[in-house]
Amino acid sequence: MSKYEVVIGLEIHAAVLSNTKVFSPSKNSYSDVPNENINEIDLSFPGIMPSLNKEAVRKALKMSMVLGCVQPDELMFDRKNYYYPDLPKGFQITQVTKPVGINGKVELYVDNHDFTVNIHDIHLEEDTASMDHYDYYTLIDYNRAGTPLVEIVTEPCIHSGEEAVAFLEFLANSLRYCNVSDADMKKGHLRCDVNINLKNENGEFITPRVEIKNVGSISYVLDAVNYEVARQIKAYETGIEELVQETRRFDEATKTTIRMRTKEDAVDYKYFVEPNIPRIKIDKSWLKEIRKEIPSLPNERLKRYIKEYSLSESEAKTLVKDFELSNYYEECIKIGINPKVAFNWLSTNIIGYLNKEFMTIRDFYITPNYLKFIVDKINSGEISSKQGKELFNYCLEEKEEPSILMKKHNLKQMDNSNELEGIIDNILKNNLKLIEDYHNGKTNLFGFFIGEVMKQTKGKANPVIAKQILTDKLK
Amino acid sequence: MFEGIEELRKKLDSGKLKVKDLAQQAVDASKKVNSKCNAFVTIIDKPKIKENKKSILSGIPYSAKDLFSTKGILTTGSSNALKDYIPFFDATVISRLKKSGAVLTSKSACDEFGLGGTGTTCHTGIVRNPYDENREAGGSSAGSAVAVASGVVPFALGTDTGDSVRKPASFCGIVGYKPTYGLIPRYGVLPFASSLDHVGVFTRSVKDAAIVVDSIKGPDSKDMTALPKTDDLTPLLDGNVEGKRLFYIKEICDIRSYDNPSDELKKSIKLFNEIIEKAKKLGMQVIPESIDQKLLNAIQPTYQVISCAEATSNLSMYTGIIYGPRGNGSNINEMVKDYRAHGFSSLIKRRLVIGSYVLQKENQERYYLNACRVRQMIIDKFNELFTQYDGFITLASGGGAPLFDGKTEVLSNEAVLENHLAIGNFGGFPSITIPAGFINNLPIGINITGKVQDDVNVLNIAYALEKDIKFKGGLHE
Amino acid sequence: MFSKEEIINYADKLLIGLTDEEANMLLDEFDIIDKNIDQINEIEGLSEVEPAFMPFNLYTATLREDKVEESVDVDVALSNTKDKLGREIRVPKVVD
Repeated sequence: MSKYEVVIGLEIHAAVLSNTKVFSPSKNSYSDVPNENINEIDLSFPGIMPSLNKEAVRKALKMSMVLGCVQPDELMFDRKNYYYPDLPKGFQITQVTKPVGINGKVELYVDNHDFTVNIHDIHLEEDTASMDHYDYYTLIDYNRAGTPLVEIVTEPCIHSGEEAVAFLEFLANSLRYCNVSDADMKKGHLRCDVNINLKNENGEFITPRVEIKNVGSISYVLDAVNYEVARQIKAYETGIEELVQETRRFDEATKTTIRMRTKEDAVDYKYFVEPNIPRIKIDKSWLKEIRKEIPSLPNERLKRYIKEYSLSESEAKTLVKDFELSNYYEECIKIGINPKVAFNWLSTNIIGYLNKEFMTIRDFYITPNYLKFIVDKINSGEISSKQGKELFNYCLEEKEEPSILMKKHNLKQMDNSNELEGIIDNILKNNLKLIEDYHNGKTNLFGFFIGEVMKQTKGKANPVIAKQILTDKLK
Repeated sequence: MFEGIEELRKKLDSGKLKVKDLAQQAVDASKKVNSKCNAFVTIIDKPKIKENKKSILSGIPYSAKDLFSTKGILTTGSSNALKDYIPFFDATVISRLKKSGAVLTSKSACDEFGLGGTGTTCHTGIVRNPYDENREAGGSSAGSAVAVASGVVPFALGTDTGDSVRKPASFCGIVGYKPTYGLIPRYGVLPFASSLDHVGVFTRSVKDAAIVVDSIKGPDSKDMTALPKTDDLTPLLDGNVEGKRLFYIKEICDIRSYDNPSDELKKSIKLFNEIIEKAKKLGMQVIPESIDQKLLNAIQPTYQVISCAEATSNLSMYTGIIYGPRGNGSNINEMVKDYRAHGFSSLIKRRLVIGSYVLQKENQERYYLNACRVRQMIIDKFNELFTQYDGFITLASGGGAPLFDGKTEVLSNEAVLENHLAIGNFGGFPSITIPAGFINNLPIGINITGKVQDDVNVLNIAYALEKDIKFKGGLHE
Repeated sequence: MFSKEEIINYADKLLIGLTDEEANMLLDEFDIIDKNIDQINEIEGLSEVEPAFMPFNLYTATLREDKVEESVDVDVALSNTKDKLGREIRVPKVVD
């Protein structure tokens, strides 16, 4: 494989969250009832004109910033002309001349290396109607017609399926972090076209560009890239298949790509400036306001968790993929919980609990501050780890502050040496045979004795002190 | 009826005339005129009346070009493609007129979807000039011009993409006014070329034109190109034009610019010169200016390219899927093709092919974008002149209405004089045609165009000239 | 310089059927258009001019606030539709 350089460019459509459609005031929301959220604009009755949704522009500009793009001082919209029954106007309003962002750049990290994805542009446009195909006819539902989309187009600068996946994960997470899109590929909120071809060692393209349309999930993107790269290499090396510039689709069942059409059938979209939308001045202060709303982003968090908090890449990803969870984690660290400790609490106790209860972290009773209380009490030795876990569970059951529950359930380590010494002496007295065995080399019996101490103190014995006393006694 | 809006208002207010009777008069007159001139697609037998005592237009009947969407009333665009289409919403201007209590009595025929300048491509047949039934009424707003000229209604709505209000106004001897682009919202008006399309009005006096525009202008949340609120025009009409400066273009309105002028052209220019003398007597200065002949020659091709390009896109919505008669075909493309083949007239089809051609990737630079550049140069030239002048005065046509010659409208090199009103559409300039007199017993108009958002000045110049011109709009039998 | 095949192909892409007569008329018109365009391209200094896409530098004052307006009832919205099934518009089967 190293003989060839894989060149990948991605075109991604994301459905934008808003109350209304991008050019009409009818509702932007999924509905099982066909043609429920429609008006004359969505169906393109004669004489309709677009009226641009401010919220959709705001969200598109926000993503433009997330992707490190340059925002123009004014926006323009263009028409993309083509005929398809799901496009009632016979053209789609999109952006070519002055889109919400151009020339962006995103720094990412995958498999222990940094890489950069350059963004050609991001633009705001409208979605089409949806069609249901039956044996002899097709039904058209216009609920989706005119709902806002942002399309993100990368430069052909991605060099592996893994990098493509990392970018898509970053993008999906960012869309959610910024509340721009639910970005669920399975629900069609995010649709990805993948362009692939190969270069030789001299940096020359040796295969024509192939576009794979509408790949249905992030993992399929990896499969599609792997299949297509292998196909192109094989065809190039053996000549058994002629390579042409074409559009293919990914077949999920066989995990292969299948030809849809070649370049000869390509449509000329006859783009021109949309005359019904005047230029839109973008106020600097508005941009500033939008920028302030952007949280720290998943790529920055991922790298920080790995480099600074010593989490593994997969541990870091677990947190980063969920904005609220990641925020919870950040808050824990901000108030002084050790990053590794905080991660362990999340991964061993919290995430499992949330999954079991079908709950999100937002509704989770134990705030970072409560968690810190518990962790601090363990660290100071006031309670044992086991008691810490108990306290954690009491909090969830009784929905009460840990400080109160600690007192209520008398969770406290026994660290009075005299008292412990009495208990230990008693244990040793009843187990003389075992002491002998211990001295004869069965040192793992030390654990048994500690266990006995814990049993008799109902787990309240401070293990550090208990160990110290026991060590002294067994000398 | 040949009374103006104010006169009718007085009669209605005094009780001399009932709203219902006035509407009935309009309906009856529509039928009579229709049998002669074929001006209407729909005559509304029982027009809805909902008075608004606060508005001057309350109870006043009017006609709207069949490009204006009217809720519950057939709206065809004068095309077979929409021959059975009934909108469920009103165009913004229609709903504003409804609120003001004006009474819609007919939908008037026009060139199909507003493409064309003859009134001969309507799906209901050709529209005839009330002065001579063997002649055109001009287009595309042919029926609306006929309605006002024949005294059917005191005002009618039209649209103007190249000269579609101002040219038929000239041929029918009435006032045709197209305000600044964006002054009147276009929402609900069937489009031709959106960057050139204007809503305009036909009346028999300048003041009536101002009155109607005042009640339909203003911002519209449904039209992003609509301008913010402006002062009403009617109260600012004072006819005071002392010291105003007008220019005309030597290359267009000076007989010496023509090698072999026809008799008709000579007469037209003579009439134009008489108007100029009148303007001077009113205290205005009228100065000839020269514009590069090449730029003038480019007006028509520029208009053709831009308007066809936008039309090809704007008319893409007509597929027969959601509205309009369904085409036949075993698959969806055949179905749409059949609908469009039968729905569109030959002229439209040819325009759409041309529009598509000039937008194609490999042609776009040479055709479409260069046309847009020439458009900018023409706009710049006129804006430069408007820094020194209050208005541009010109003949609205080179003569009276042409005869139906049996030829269909084919794109050709016509004289600059027949196409120069498109300048007003290129720059969105306010532009008004008023009757100037008769040539060979046919009416002819002059046109005043001014700078963007200076409608008051343009109207005032027209208002002052109108008082001094004996011929009043309308065919008084 | 234009062929009839080209013109028929253009029309086809626009989903328009042309009669023979229409195609011939278009052929003539194309030649005129081409000559007319020469009049455009003859003008000096074209390349230095920004193309005008609107009559003047029109800017939008305010964008629409994101407030939902009531939908049009499906029976009203599809009242002009010739073929529908339930709440949807029916067309011959669309195959890509």
